[in-house]
Amino acid sequence: MKVYVNQEPVDVLPGMTVRHALLSAGLLGEVETFLKAYDEWGNELGLGGALSDGMKIYVHPVRKSSTF
Amino acid sequence: MKRSKIIIYVLVVLLFSFSFTHAHPIEIRILHLNDFHGFAEPYKPLGSDLRVGGLPYLATRVKELRQEKPTLLLSAGDMIQGNNWANLFYGESVIEWMNEMKFDAMVLGNHEFDFGQEVLRKRISEATFPFLGANVNGLNDILPYIIKELTGIKIAIIGIVTEDVPLSTHPRNVVGLKFTSPIETVRKIVETLKNNVDVILVLSHIGFSGDRVLAEKVKGIDVIVGGHSHTKIERPQKVGNTLIVQAWEHGKALGVLDLTLKDRRILEGKGHLEEIRPERGREDRATSMIVKKYEERMNAILNEKIGEAEVDLDGENVRRRETNLGNFISDMMRRVSGAEVTLINGGGIRSSIRRGEVRVKDVYSALPFDNYIVAIKLTGRQIQEALEHGVSGVEDEEGRFPQVSGFTFKYSPSEKKGSRVKEIRISGQPIGLDQEYVVATNDFLAAGGDGYKVFGEAIRSSKDFAIIGGMMKGEKVVYSHSGKWLRDVVVDTIKDMKKIFSEVEGRILETR
Repeated sequence: MKVYVNQEPVDVLPGMTVRHALLSAGLLGEVETFLKAYDEWGNELGLGGALSDGMKIYVHPVRKSSTF
Repeated sequence: MKRSKIIIYVLVVLLFSFSFTHAHPIEIRILHLNDFHGFAEPYKPLGSDLRVGGLPYLATRVKELRQEKPTLLLSAGDMIQGNNWANLFYGESVIEWMNEMKFDAMVLGNHEFDFGQEVLRKRISEATFPFLGANVNGLNDILPYIIKELTGIKIAIIGIVTEDVPLSTHPRNVVGLKFTSPIETVRKIVETLKNNVDVILVLSHIGFSGDRVLAEKVKGIDVIVGGHSHTKIERPQKVGNTLIVQAWEHGKALGVLDLTLKDRRILEGKGHLEEIRPERGREDRATSMIVKKYEERMNAILNEKIGEAEVDLDGENVRRRETNLGNFISDMMRRVSGAEVTLINGGGIRSSIRRGEVRVKDVYSALPFDNYIVAIKLTGRQIQEALEHGVSGVEDEEGRFPQVSGFTFKYSPSEKKGSRVKEIRISGQPIGLDQEYVVATNDFLAAGGDGYKVFGEAIRSSKDFAIIGGMMKGEKVVYSHSGKWLRDVVVDTIKDMKKIFSEVEGRILETR
């Protein structure tokens, strides 16, 4: 299954999560410190979130519009 | 005269009831939770210093919000597996809490299958609320949908789970079950129900992107309450006429969706997430008692004696040499997955297990990470490359130093990085560089953790995952059980063996 992290393709197994995708992309460390992961519609994703084929994940600083 | 009075009285009553049900807007509330995964206690998520979540605080908020208007409390799945508070009781603790909270319905998530069908049936039988799963065939204890009535409004709640359940849990957990297309399943049910109810709500465990597709393809769904993707949807998102909501993960948020109806149609849907944080004095007493009761039992289980180690099992030198604990764990992974060899990172083992009584907590300390077993086909050349990478940081005792099973090799730290490994022998024979071997590892390395790239290459070249002959198969992937942590497999193994012995056998030889 292929997902995209900041537009870079990453291959993961069924059952793997956002955490695995970020690890594959070398971005898990950043998300553990000061960045967060979002879907293509701008919603924050939990690291345990399920992946779907072709899913797009974006890693960037916390959105200011977030209420918490 | 008397007759005309009766007629006037009947007309007034009819007029009043008509105006009450049709003219005045009616408000109802949906409270929703998804992907709780047993996080009963507040915790600090990675990258945060703030403690969030906590069932006693979530329960208080549910009870307060329920007082304000007629309410349904729903769960979008993945409740009973994940954290120790759930796992050590196979989810019984979670169901007890959900009963206390009087949940109205829950859809099966993929992780509800992780303890097997017998356990799942037991959990369903304990629940005072219905489990839904319209696209799950072969499990008689669940319902495709229910119809609830709130202040005269009929609400259909249809449950669907991802079709990928057989790919994400152990195949034996879904023997005899068939997972059909969520879209086609919902389409048929909506067609049947649309003239009999006022609101159609889908309780979904297919993930947010799947929910969007469902809303696009099936007309007539008013609300999708979702889970699976752990998405923090702060305000309801609309696709066509369908509102989609989801409440993040681990009980860090409670979803609130308020629907205003007029003439039995939704006029407006407003929603938000209530952040759940521990605040002194805000604990719900009944929930606190349930959480505490299972925590006490959890401590008892962690202290349970599961076997006896006949020797000290070394988890301290795993970053610089072969150890007997590394051998014990990697041997067990090879056996469980049916692989020919095992290669794991020494850094995944965090403490030793001392000679004498072994308790559950000793294994949990040695293997604290939520890792699971994966087995992937690698060529001999890829194994060699992985080993070169593994020993390339031995001077700094990097966590990538390998612990192995099923093969031996020599390496020289005085050689240049990338040219240190020699004489790899599998089952006593020199490794075939072009030959494929099934290699057991953990999901961390499979995803490229500690800089291991070869597993990712194999996954990239693997095609079409499917269940074949009762096992998940891809072209290169032969085993993956995301629903059972490695440490729990080790606990089960020690319980079976009762006495454990392992020694250093010369699997990894350092030369100069």
